[in-house]
Amino acid sequence: MARYFIDLEELLARVEMDRELMRELLKIFKDEFPLRYQALREAVESLDATRVVQEAHTLKGMLWNLAAGEPAEAAAQLERLGRNQETGKFRESFAQFETMAKELSRQLEACMAEVSG
Amino acid sequence: MRILIADDEFMSRRLLEKTMQRAGYEVTAVENGRLAAAELCKPEGPKLALLDWIMPELDGPGVCREVRKRKDQSYVYMILLTSKEKKEDVVAGLESGADDYLTKPFDPEELKARLRTGMRILDLEDRLIEAREGMRFQATHDALTCLWNRGVIMDLLGRELTRSRRERKCTAILLGDLDHFKSVNDTYGHLAGDEVLRETARRLVSSVRSYDFVGRFGGEEFLVTLNNCDPAHGLARAEKIRQTIADPPVDTSAGRIAISMSFGLLLSQEWGYMSVAELLHEVDTALYGAKAAGRNCVKVAAPKTQPDDARAPAPEAASRRR
Repeated sequence: MARYFIDLEELLARVEMDRELMRELLKIFKDEFPLRYQALREAVESLDATRVVQEAHTLKGMLWNLAAGEPAEAAAQLERLGRNQETGKFRESFAQFETMAKELSRQLEACMAEVSG
Repeated sequence: MRILIADDEFMSRRLLEKTMQRAGYEVTAVENGRLAAAELCKPEGPKLALLDWIMPELDGPGVCREVRKRKDQSYVYMILLTSKEKKEDVVAGLESGADDYLTKPFDPEELKARLRTGMRILDLEDRLIEAREGMRFQATHDALTCLWNRGVIMDLLGRELTRSRRERKCTAILLGDLDHFKSVNDTYGHLAGDEVLRETARRLVSSVRSYDFVGRFGGEEFLVTLNNCDPAHGLARAEKIRQTIADPPVDTSAGRIAISMSFGLLLSQEWGYMSVAELLHEVDTALYGAKAAGRNCVKVAAPKTQPDDARAPAPEAASRRR
């Protein structure tokens, strides 16, 4: 069974129990994440270390705000590789991130339904 | 309290914005460092700021450096938000002028506690400025009447004369002395005498324009400069001021007291390049003339046409004319 990436309890604490804000953040994430994810993918494919750093950093921030620690760490790993110009490790690291990202997207729907209910 | 939030990432910005609004702050949110620096450098800009470290255009430390370049405005308390936590990063952030830093993801309670620290520092700055302004006022104003004190009114007169000569304009110098003030003190007491001085000051200020100067020159002597004064109207303006002092009598705690003031008037345009001290000597002589002429009148200091050695002697002492 897949791990649950979003720590709802922590997210609720972060928004100080404001469920409306939580819904808003989830919605923002849902809209923004595919665009950022695609930008990171393109940066990785073109082995553009500068852009990998930028995009991975942004995704890391978004994921931390969502209390999604494990995917945030995976994005942080890509950011570190970019800073160190370790382009040879981009694809492998991105693959790990991609797996989590797909699962996270599925969980996001369930999470939004739970919060709305 | 207003606070600036600068973060290029929308989700972070929104989260910070709501957290701060809930804590009672008035929030201005921007998405890059350049906009943040522009907001913070405005004269009435926010005095608290939360700055993301990595931002387009200008990063958080860059914003801190821009803001710290200004020397003449209020202090801005800035907190850097960062996922950087290596010691050298923290040092670089604080060296740029940040007051504090907070690692992301932030805990709302910790963030608010750190902002309260910032507010304590800003509050301290406000109190220091208030104390400094209070001391500045005391150093430049007469404690009883709140008019400019002697040192300042002399300085203002000097500057005004320089300006009026440069612009070929006229400054009217009016030196006034309350008539029989000693008997006011002797008859009604010093408290009533102080009330008379305060009311005299109020009437003088109310009878001149906002850009004229009024100062307490000595015990019951007052110096007024009517800046950029049309020489043709100088005497009429002085007369009007004299009437304002004399009528109505002053209501004091010891009863109504009739007062009047004698004036010496000098129109700078008629005197060429004389020093402040020399001009004051001339206007004092004119004031002496007003006292000698029966008081409660204005005498104009007129340049003498006779040779220097034929000049009338200066009045000996102020006490003679009371």
